[in-house]
Amino acid sequence: MIESVLRATLLGLQLGMTLALIAAGLTLIFGMLDVINFAHGALYMLGAYFGTVVAGQLGSFWLALVLAPLMVGLVGAAIEIFSLRPLYDRNPLYHILLTFGVAIMIQGAIIEIWGAQSMQIPVPDLLSGSVSVGPVNYPVYWLFVLAVSTLLIAVVWLAIERSDLGILMRASAHDTEMVSALGIDVSKVFTGVFVFGAVLAGVAGVLLGGSRSVHPGMGFGIIIETFIVVVIGGLGSFRGAVYAALLIGLVTAYGALIAPTLTDLFLFAMMAIVLMAKPSGLFGATEAA
Amino acid sequence: MSGKGVGRSHSSTTSGGSVSRRQLLASGAAVGGTAALGGCLGSREDGLTVGFALPFTGTYALLGESIVDGFELYLDQRDGEVNGEEVELVRRDTEADTNKGVDVTRELLIKERADAIVGPVSSAVAMAMIQPIETESSAIWFNANAGDYRITAEGCPEYHFRTSFNDWQTSAPLARFVYEEIADNVCLAYADYAFGQNSKEFFKEAFEELGGEVVDEVGAPLGTDDFSPYLGDIQDSGAEAVYSFFAGGDAVNYVNAFSSFGLDEEMTQTGSGFLLANDTLPAQGASALGMYSLLHYTTTHDSDRNRTFVENYEQLHGGSPNVYACQGYDSAQAFVDAVEETGGTDPDEMVDSLVEMEFDSPRGQFRFNPDTHEPIHNMYVREVVESDDGESVENEVIDTLEEVEGPAWGCSN
Amino acid sequence: MKSVVELFGRSQSSQTGDQLLSSRGRLAVLVAVGALALFAPIADAYEPFWLNMLVRMMIFALLALSLDFVFGYAGLLSFGHAAMFGAGGYAAAMLISEVTANALVVLPAAMVVGAVVAGIIGWFSVRARGIYFAMLTLAFAQLFYVMAFTDLPATILGVESFTGGDNGLYGIQRYALFGVDFTPTLVYFYLTLAAVALSFVALLRLSNSPFGRVLQGIRENEERVQFLGYDVRRYKVLGFALSGAFAGLAGGLYVPFQSVSHPGLLHWMISGELVVMLLLGGLGTLWGPMLGAALVVFLEEQLAGFASWEIVLGGIFVVVVIFAPRGLAGAIISVRDDPTNVATNAKRAIRNYIDKVRR
Repeated sequence: MIESVLRATLLGLQLGMTLALIAAGLTLIFGMLDVINFAHGALYMLGAYFGTVVAGQLGSFWLALVLAPLMVGLVGAAIEIFSLRPLYDRNPLYHILLTFGVAIMIQGAIIEIWGAQSMQIPVPDLLSGSVSVGPVNYPVYWLFVLAVSTLLIAVVWLAIERSDLGILMRASAHDTEMVSALGIDVSKVFTGVFVFGAVLAGVAGVLLGGSRSVHPGMGFGIIIETFIVVVIGGLGSFRGAVYAALLIGLVTAYGALIAPTLTDLFLFAMMAIVLMAKPSGLFGATEAA
Repeated sequence: MSGKGVGRSHSSTTSGGSVSRRQLLASGAAVGGTAALGGCLGSREDGLTVGFALPFTGTYALLGESIVDGFELYLDQRDGEVNGEEVELVRRDTEADTNKGVDVTRELLIKERADAIVGPVSSAVAMAMIQPIETESSAIWFNANAGDYRITAEGCPEYHFRTSFNDWQTSAPLARFVYEEIADNVCLAYADYAFGQNSKEFFKEAFEELGGEVVDEVGAPLGTDDFSPYLGDIQDSGAEAVYSFFAGGDAVNYVNAFSSFGLDEEMTQTGSGFLLANDTLPAQGASALGMYSLLHYTTTHDSDRNRTFVENYEQLHGGSPNVYACQGYDSAQAFVDAVEETGGTDPDEMVDSLVEMEFDSPRGQFRFNPDTHEPIHNMYVREVVESDDGESVENEVIDTLEEVEGPAWGCSN
Repeated sequence: MKSVVELFGRSQSSQTGDQLLSSRGRLAVLVAVGALALFAPIADAYEPFWLNMLVRMMIFALLALSLDFVFGYAGLLSFGHAAMFGAGGYAAAMLISEVTANALVVLPAAMVVGAVVAGIIGWFSVRARGIYFAMLTLAFAQLFYVMAFTDLPATILGVESFTGGDNGLYGIQRYALFGVDFTPTLVYFYLTLAAVALSFVALLRLSNSPFGRVLQGIRENEERVQFLGYDVRRYKVLGFALSGAFAGLAGGLYVPFQSVSHPGLLHWMISGELVVMLLLGGLGTLWGPMLGAALVVFLEEQLAGFASWEIVLGGIFVVVVIFAPRGLAGAIISVRDDPTNVATNAKRAIRNYIDKVRR
């Protein structure tokens, strides 16, 4: 019993931190660009596929972990510049529809290029096998994923809270006119934020591509889960997204122990209740970005 | 080279389609604004038409393509002709979606006037196809993969011939092997949807009948990414062996996690053949070593018939055949033989001749049960071993269960 | 063909004012319905499969119409209309297989079920606005989806099967009424045509009624309507439930036609596709989304042959959003207003796009 709980806790934390990587981008993009990015799941999926390519061609997982997210960032830049940028002065509804179309296109392209078969990113020997964590055996790779994603989230957190860049980003979200009056190119900031979100999603894609099967349905599969996280955390709040991601990760992991079929139901019910009771999210109501 | 004949006839359909679509657009506009229509002129007095209602996009695309490849191979060996008539192959994508499955089935039956329907892959789609095929009652139906026993059990559809397998066959017969060779106690792990539940129940029934004990049952939702909580339950059950039903991406995630957690050192993994299939093994790799599964076809099966099949297949399509290709191949055999014997495509006559036939298949001898139209064939117990070059893994047949049939599900003639 | 377009177009240009469809527009609708009715027997003799596709087009047109009534017209973006569509479908499936195949019993029942589900979702959701409202409807619809997929009602009621789980309910017969059997597709076509046409008229009248004006007012300025003494929340819930009734009707028509009801009907992808249909057709015009729905069904059918159809379909959405935000209806209107300037307009749109990208 204690073993099960410990294992579920470890999994929950790992799920939470990887979800946070994806949700962070989604919520930052919403907070600053006012865009609900339906293609965010597709970017995560692209990360995993680019990861299989780099790891397969260059034979190095480590290169994949660095290069694949950067490639996703490039795709993100293209999406922002060529399709979102002309639409910023329109109703946010159009952003949803646009990114929905982009997500469908990316999924189609992936099937066209890599086929529909499940793939996986080969994990280096260093990270394979399992170690004992207290009374349970746990795969080294899963611990690695937990460590890397936690580290990244911590770095991003510090960057947003402390650095000038973070302050600029938050200021742009609040008052674009004032920021541009200061002589800063807001559209560059927007592109930067979108690319940054894309890169984080790409990292999550590579990390999870080593432990989960990589297939064309994974993009639309993760997006709703990420929405739940972002909504519960409060749309636009980074801190909220991290807390909510941990909460959802743990609920999913414990839910699998108790009542697997009801877990989804519970998650959607949570989302609905938060939206009704506190639309600004459970966490970060007072926070700016 | 005769494969080109098949290919040509196929491409002629497509171009024919676009011409008539234009004609139609004109006629549609003529009647006033209902231009949004599409279709082919269905004037096909000559030749035979086989309609594939299979997924060609999405998760199951590989399965759909393999079935068509297998079918084409057999036609190719017959120079693309049956009784001197050319065979036209029409592919329609079900996207493994229930409603789309109904739509394309109707399209194949009504618009393309198919003489035979081959497909689908997913059982939910097959269930939804029963009604349209029965309503039109104009074509014979070769079910080349959907294995849910209820397709037969709910009404014993007259034109339905399972050239593949049913879920009883890929689960229950393994019980004796597990009981006698591995352990008298098991934990059951399954994807929690109709097919997984059926497989689990069939295995349990057979295993308990033999005197075995089912220690625990662990169901994981379809599409589970992280199996660790479920693996915890499996480990805690203390059973010596596991019988599992997972397929596709679930099978990859499950088998890999099973090894990552080191469970493969504590208990023996067994399962239906889809747990460790050609489409999952490349992504599972060394994690799958030493696991047992049950299926009606294995690429490495050691027989002259299969070796020829594998050679021919590799020659035509470049790549080794999987179980789905074999199912497609046997669908072609059944179709061609029935057309030749009855001298036409009357589905009722074809039914009468099909129930009498015996096929020389790469999977071994195979025939249909006259009441259920289910296949009667050998089932093979396989173990995952390293391939000869040591670079990948493959299934090796270690035991053959002869002429496995299964329940009659209340069907009679 | 052209006159139909023109009539629609003219009526549309006055839409910013009061009437949603002028008398000439009504005439155009009559002509379209008449043409469809006349065309059906020809199609049946010539190529029966067209009928099949027409029926599906009309059903999704009805579904799009129901969403446009709350979204385009009343401004409530529902990302959960699949729930009402599916609920109506499941209701029809259960009634037909357990009770009766009488269309006059089952179809109204499907509408009631759709309205009740929409009423529940709406009652909980209307307190939120804009994107939050959309997210709430999405969450509720997914709740219904998961319940259907896991067959939770069966577990609660202690019966073996209620929704049929992931396989759904299959082998559903088509309707019968006054001794008429609706099994032949041609007959079913007329049933669908009648239902869709009546629904269009009903929703049109509703839109032009005082009730509809209030809904429109809510879209334009919620506070003002509130200030004028209307119970905004009640109007919203009522509007949403009405829309749900028609979505339920669409489900009630679709399921017996397809012979199967399955959880996929309630999935958010259907809701998403529906929003795309609205946008392609042109929001808030009622007739535009119907055309949009028909177009999407048609495109999916025609593109299915291509391996890369998803790229094409996604690409069309993207292009429409960027260059033609008012959709088909908008394009038709601008061509009607100024047929000579199509090229100039297109050029201007592209220049505008390039300017914005360069910004």
